[in-house]
Amino acid sequence: MLSIKNLHASVEGKEILKGINLEIKAGEVHAIMGPNGSGKSTLSQVLAGNEAFEVTSGEVTLNGENLLELETEKRAREGIFLAFQYPVEIPGVSNLQFLRTAVNAMRTHRGEDEMNAAEFMKLAKKVSQQVDLDPAFLKRGVNEGFSGGEKKRNEILQALLLQPKLAILDETDSGLDIDALKVVSDGVNALRAEDRAILMVTHYQRLLNHIVPDYVHVLAGGRIVKSGGRELALELEERGYSWLGVEDEEAAAH
Amino acid sequence: MRPAPTLSSAFLQPAGEALPQPLLALRKQRGTALVDMPLPTRKTENWKYSSKHLKLSDELASPLPAGSASTSVAEDGYRVVFRNGVVDSEASRLPQVDGLSVQRFADLPDADATALAERLDNTLDSKATQMARLNSARFEDGLLITLKPDTVLREPLFIVHEVTASASGSAYPRIYVDAARHSQMTLVEEYLSSGDESVMVDSVTEFTVGDGAQITSIRLNVEGQNVQHIGATGVRQQRNSRFESHCVGFGGPLRRHDLQLRLEGEGAECKLNGVVVTQGKQHYDNHTCIDHMVPNCNSEETYRNIAADESHAVFNGRIHIHQDAQNSIAEMNNKNLLLSTGAEIDTKPELEIYADDVQCAHGATIGQLDKTSLFYLVSRGIDRRDANVLLTMAFINELVKQIPVEQVRDSANERLNQFFDHTFREA
Repeated sequence: MLSIKNLHASVEGKEILKGINLEIKAGEVHAIMGPNGSGKSTLSQVLAGNEAFEVTSGEVTLNGENLLELETEKRAREGIFLAFQYPVEIPGVSNLQFLRTAVNAMRTHRGEDEMNAAEFMKLAKKVSQQVDLDPAFLKRGVNEGFSGGEKKRNEILQALLLQPKLAILDETDSGLDIDALKVVSDGVNALRAEDRAILMVTHYQRLLNHIVPDYVHVLAGGRIVKSGGRELALELEERGYSWLGVEDEEAAAH
Repeated sequence: MRPAPTLSSAFLQPAGEALPQPLLALRKQRGTALVDMPLPTRKTENWKYSSKHLKLSDELASPLPAGSASTSVAEDGYRVVFRNGVVDSEASRLPQVDGLSVQRFADLPDADATALAERLDNTLDSKATQMARLNSARFEDGLLITLKPDTVLREPLFIVHEVTASASGSAYPRIYVDAARHSQMTLVEEYLSSGDESVMVDSVTEFTVGDGAQITSIRLNVEGQNVQHIGATGVRQQRNSRFESHCVGFGGPLRRHDLQLRLEGEGAECKLNGVVVTQGKQHYDNHTCIDHMVPNCNSEETYRNIAADESHAVFNGRIHIHQDAQNSIAEMNNKNLLLSTGAEIDTKPELEIYADDVQCAHGATIGQLDKTSLFYLVSRGIDRRDANVLLTMAFINELVKQIPVEQVRDSANERLNQFFDHTFREA
């Protein structure tokens, strides 16, 4: 489904990704782990099409189509979804209006009729219950005044509504207490499907207790330095990154 | 040194001799006072940013010939149509409500005209409204709206100010509203135009709001790109009265609106909302002034400007709390959105406070659309134009929603969509 070959990317002239290679097939769940500053979030942002990052070489295809040529909104319509590490607060745009506009943009793209306000409200209420988010949050501004956990649940709510082909979860576990982690994980697990892939980017392995990955990759210094099964995550949990010859920049800074 | 430019004498030849004698006399007297009036220049503080857009060539001094109608929001309901500054009785539909009278200046008996002549201009600070003085020297007709005590007008009254420019010239529409105690009314003023000859509209609307009266004034400015518009609204409020103003304006070669309120009775409150949208090389200048003269009055003011392309918006908000006006509450907030690097917005809050026990707050910001927010929206598959529209509307939604008349909201939204189509067309 997703094929990344020798991907290099930089931000403000500084190279962050230095040759990423990754193949993800439909139905698979991959986890990318790595120390802070290794390029995990950059990879997520580049895949989603954030123009602040410049791809300097390499290629990325989604089901054979060159992803890098597509604008952000077109990637989303082709099935890329990024759950943001830091979801953006947009006061003045109601969450409901935002979600409905997004869902209808996808439906239009697929040649389906747009949902009217009443139909959409019904669907949105159902899905917000699935992620344990009070439907009152639908009427607030997008992420406006939401707690960290509520923002993350709102991200998963969007994933469930938009039904992407590839869901990229950027540090979705950060800032979640154990109950919220369970709710969010249940939401992600509900997304698992034969025709869908999930790419989780995480610093910690605790999320992987709830969402069990098929493959685990270690990203360090802008490259994938090790790949394995889920047991690799457990090993990282026990031994840290140093046995891979990788410095955790955060640890190194202390 | 070059002498300061003065108002051309061509502007001091009013038309419309049908007015009652007292008003003709007033007009003449006002005109005499304007001989050699210096025109605003860059050095005139209240015209600093706008004087260069004020073009008063002699051809604009001519009264406008009669013309035909264009499309107003006031399809149904009560309405009075001003065509080129003169009331068109046939196109008007007046409410038959006890306690309400709506009279053309021309139809006033001499005694009433004398009383009106004594009151015209008394809501405005003449030093700060130079062009309103020209209106007083030139109005050809006008509307006196009188609400007797306790009269409540349930439906809004629309005033359609239309200029139909088949030749160059100027129009001077004039309204005086006298709302007695505990009366209530919503007045919608819509400024429209048709034709493309160069035109100036110099309008003045005055309100006296009696004890406990509640007046809502809505002003929608959608004139064409051939029209310079200079308008003034003056309001005097008595005890426990409430005045609410909603101004929505789209830019032109020059749009200027002075809104002046005097809170003269304790417990009076006002709420002023304003939305301005400019594009191309348009220019829009709002000057507001609220005088808290007595204790225990509230004012709340919220203005938003959005400027695209190479357009220019100006907001100058003055709050003057007089020495006796203890326990005043005044809040002023002005936020501005620049949609292009060539656009300019100037904002100036002016607070003058002479009382010591007051709550005053003001805030002004100028910013651009947030790139992170835009990325977030498009990353959900939302069209880039729609994402820009959502973010821009987020900036003014609250104010548009508060406009209490549906036709005005719809018309404003329709115009906003045209603006978005223009501004975000390449996105």
